[in-house]
Amino acid sequence: MQRRMTWKEFCFILPLLLLVSVFSLYPILSSFSYTLFDYQTNNQAKNALYTAATLNTMLYVEDCDYLVYYLNKDIPNVDESDRATLTALVDKLEAQKAAYANSEKTISLPAATDQEISALIAETEQVAQSYAEKYPTLRIVTKSGQILDEMKTCLISSNFIGLTNYSRLVSDDRFGQAVGNTFVFTILSVSVELLLGMALALIMNKAMRGIGLVRTTALIPWAIPTAVSALIWCYLYDGTSGIVAALFTRLGIIAAPELLLTTAGGTMFGAILADVWKTTPYMALLLLAGLQVIDRGLYESSSIDGAGPIRTFTSITLPLLKSSMLVALLFRTLDAFRVYDLIAVLTKGTPETLSIYAYKMMIGQSNYGYGSVIVVAMFAMVALIAFVYVKVLGAELIQE
Amino acid sequence: MTTQTAIQPDGPDQHRRIGHVFMWALIICFICINLFPFLWVLVTSFKPVGEIYGAETAFRVIAINPTINNYLTVVNKGILHSVFNSLIVSGITTLYVVMVASMSAYIIARIHFRGKTALMSLILGISMFPQMIIVGPIFNMFYQFRLLNSYWVTLAYSTITLPLAVWIMVAHFKQIPISVEEAARIDGCSQWQSLWKVIFPMAAPGVFTTAIMTFISAWNEYLLTLTLNAEKDFQTVPVAINTLRTQFSILWGEITAATILVVIPTLAIVLLFQKQIVSGITSGAVKE
Amino acid sequence: MKKMLAILLSVALVLATTAALAEPVTVKFAAQADSTPATQAVVDAFNASQTNYMVEWVDMTNDSGAMREQLTTSLKAGSSEYDIISMDVVWAGEFAASGYIMPLDMMLDDAGLNVADYNAGSMASGNYNGKQYVLPFFPDLGMLYFRTDIVSQEDAAKLIAGTYTWADLLAMAETYAGQGGTTTGFVFQAALYEGLVCNANEFTSNWTDVKGGLEIMKQFIDSKASPDNILNYTEGETANSFVKGESVFARNWPYQWGVIKSEGTITTDQVAVAPLPGGSTVGGWILGINKNSANAEGAFAFMQFLNSEAGQLIMSEQGGYLPGLNKMLTDERIIKSDDRLSMVGFQNALKTTIARPVSAEYSKVSDALQQAIYPYLSGSAEIDATVTAVQAALAN
Repeated sequence: MQRRMTWKEFCFILPLLLLVSVFSLYPILSSFSYTLFDYQTNNQAKNALYTAATLNTMLYVEDCDYLVYYLNKDIPNVDESDRATLTALVDKLEAQKAAYANSEKTISLPAATDQEISALIAETEQVAQSYAEKYPTLRIVTKSGQILDEMKTCLISSNFIGLTNYSRLVSDDRFGQAVGNTFVFTILSVSVELLLGMALALIMNKAMRGIGLVRTTALIPWAIPTAVSALIWCYLYDGTSGIVAALFTRLGIIAAPELLLTTAGGTMFGAILADVWKTTPYMALLLLAGLQVIDRGLYESSSIDGAGPIRTFTSITLPLLKSSMLVALLFRTLDAFRVYDLIAVLTKGTPETLSIYAYKMMIGQSNYGYGSVIVVAMFAMVALIAFVYVKVLGAELIQE
Repeated sequence: MTTQTAIQPDGPDQHRRIGHVFMWALIICFICINLFPFLWVLVTSFKPVGEIYGAETAFRVIAINPTINNYLTVVNKGILHSVFNSLIVSGITTLYVVMVASMSAYIIARIHFRGKTALMSLILGISMFPQMIIVGPIFNMFYQFRLLNSYWVTLAYSTITLPLAVWIMVAHFKQIPISVEEAARIDGCSQWQSLWKVIFPMAAPGVFTTAIMTFISAWNEYLLTLTLNAEKDFQTVPVAINTLRTQFSILWGEITAATILVVIPTLAIVLLFQKQIVSGITSGAVKE
Repeated sequence: MKKMLAILLSVALVLATTAALAEPVTVKFAAQADSTPATQAVVDAFNASQTNYMVEWVDMTNDSGAMREQLTTSLKAGSSEYDIISMDVVWAGEFAASGYIMPLDMMLDDAGLNVADYNAGSMASGNYNGKQYVLPFFPDLGMLYFRTDIVSQEDAAKLIAGTYTWADLLAMAETYAGQGGTTTGFVFQAALYEGLVCNANEFTSNWTDVKGGLEIMKQFIDSKASPDNILNYTEGETANSFVKGESVFARNWPYQWGVIKSEGTITTDQVAVAPLPGGSTVGGWILGINKNSANAEGAFAFMQFLNSEAGQLIMSEQGGYLPGLNKMLTDERIIKSDDRLSMVGFQNALKTTIARPVSAEYSKVSDALQQAIYPYLSGSAEIDATVTAVQAALAN
């Protein structure tokens, strides 16, 4: 019964399409393109997607300006005979300055211009060297080296590297560790949440009278911004004044209070505990909704058949709960897999999960090319997880 | 005697009673663990700085010298203005997201058009993408259109709120019998009119649920506001709280006080609308 | 083309505004919130001192990691949102390499200012590829605080003069720990964060003696001279321990002097300050100009004002910030408002400042150093492997 939409109908979904394209699709696609480049914003030769030879005019003009400035200071300090050489060089540099002063920050660089600029750099280097012995204190002698090196970086070549970033991923131990950490965090936290959530849901399904109170308290941790609740846990885990850390130490769960925020095992445990605290109620509510649609009559007939509570649970509750459970598990698994806020605020980045690693690469070290590759790899894993849930385990997401 | 009745031999009654006691013990235990962090935050918010640190005073339940200075300080630092910002930003987001989601959900729920599964998968796929990757490109866009440091940030919130909103709305619109709409069409309503005059009011509980879910996820957003609205005048609650650090220490007294203040609106919403929230969390999870 | 348009536009704008109201040009200054009135006072004083520019302070987040992120996102997009940018000393290398901030040499020269007149550590952290990119906002440096009522006069003299080694300090910390109501000897920053790099910088004498420095650091951690949970200490824990009279010695920044005054159970009469054996790591903040700023002259004028005698007096008197202009360190008016500067030990510490590595990828270097050092301090790595890892991180 599929048909083409009418124009009017299309107008109904147009706002959705617009918002999704502008604020989700476009950013996602641009980061895909980053993965093919050696794109690092803290290096001016790599701070954009360059597909052809390019001149960094802004820096080039600035460097010419510096050389002119040094030379003008030097000219009065050299012999009459040498002044002409320096003045000629100044004129050449001034001409370059004038030629590019009003152009865009970067322009495309024809081979001829490339050679011309390289020649000028070589000439300046040569002048600096030739005067080094005669006038060791000249600025052009003492200071031009770094400027000239910087000038060479103004001649930018393409930073398109194809799939090199992806191949780097294979040999990156830190990436492997991040994958490991992410899976440990996801599997442990989601399974603990499932167990506790199931227990809680079964209880809530029985105790109809207290359910309102339980539901209210259950919703509070879920409704608090993660950025705020992580801060609360950070305080509770604090090595000197955190009550949870002190309590755990006294109970013998950890050896010393500061371990929760400092060691690899401690931070993993702490992050999982905070996550379990925040999302177990959410899991319980999802499962409770599934429990509540199970026909009560089924339980009654099962108890008449003489089945015990465990038998009833495995033969009636679990199979009927399967679809709700799988959807709940899928949502939680994907959320846990992308964990960022919680760990970023709690420990500033340990244990290092994939999101944290990608963030450190992109924002911390300004390496957007490789950082985007990590995100893309992460997305591939997320898609794979979703695939396993939907196709292998049979979770039904899109209902018709 | 009461003890006699309690130790009545066998019978399902006794089993049930023990079961009840055990269950209630578990429930109370759960509530305590659930609320403990907040209670402790409340306790700390009344302690002077000196008592928050230090081995003897850090774990006292009642402060030796209780103070409301922490609250005064954060109010002076403008925490209430950030609550105001959060309300505005989340409010606007809720309004337009509910409208956009209703319009598209109406079509998705009612019409079997080509590419529908693709559209739904796209929406689902987007909600699975790690958020940090969208921040840079959106910043560039906002910069070019001079929209930084303004309430326009709400537009960017669509990326985190729209997928879920569409999802919930579709689930609710589908439950409204098609005959209702057909009757409206016979009365001469256009699609536009039947959406807003017939379907929308009938799906009111679903609309409400969507609104609350959208509001809460907008209220919780951190990364986008942090980068798009760097100026203090436009900071929302999660960002404002995380700025209560100095270069050398984290001001726990102020952070706990601020937490208590900003949690109040959330608490109010949870208390007032818990039924709708639960229905929002579970829609899509239950096949009816 | 764009530039020409911009020039034309700004000329038109200037003409229009001078014709209409002669309104000053607004210059935006991005800096963290100041818990003292000093920053606002300097801005106000500058605005009152001339009529061409009007500096407007934009309050950035106090979480410096988040602030760096806000700034880099904005600057990466080529934004001219902020004209003057306040930076942590360790960001300058990256900002300069990225082309976010403009070099100042010619402006300094035109204004007749000399790089050598300002705090060496601050200026060095903003020198990249031979160009000078920054002026000081306020410098900061690590130093040793000790209890004069516990430490003997002889030892105190040695400390203040700086003629002691880390081993001497270890011996003293072990001797004095427990005396005068204290519970521990020496507290410093050994948690896994940037502060660890600052401390290791001092222990290893600016990375010249990595092995010896880290070994003595570990001895402090293992001995009774430092608290059991020292591996969790940041500045907050350090200050708390010292101002409550729990420790005899503490390594901290100058701000701790103010904490002693406001929250201490001990008084400043019981405390003196000394240089550290391996030199004092420079911290604090520096000022640069956005390369895309249309108001570079105004921005520079403000930075110059802040680093003038008048500006430095306001920063010191209203906020207790250390002067970045060297000659003001011995200025009577400043010493009068800032009692720390009257201490010989403090002045000695100012003479032995060392910088952290200046790099376009500082966060990577710092991250690698922390990851190399911390496992050794917590007992899960051997010294030789650690030294190799530290050298590799520094070579990067």
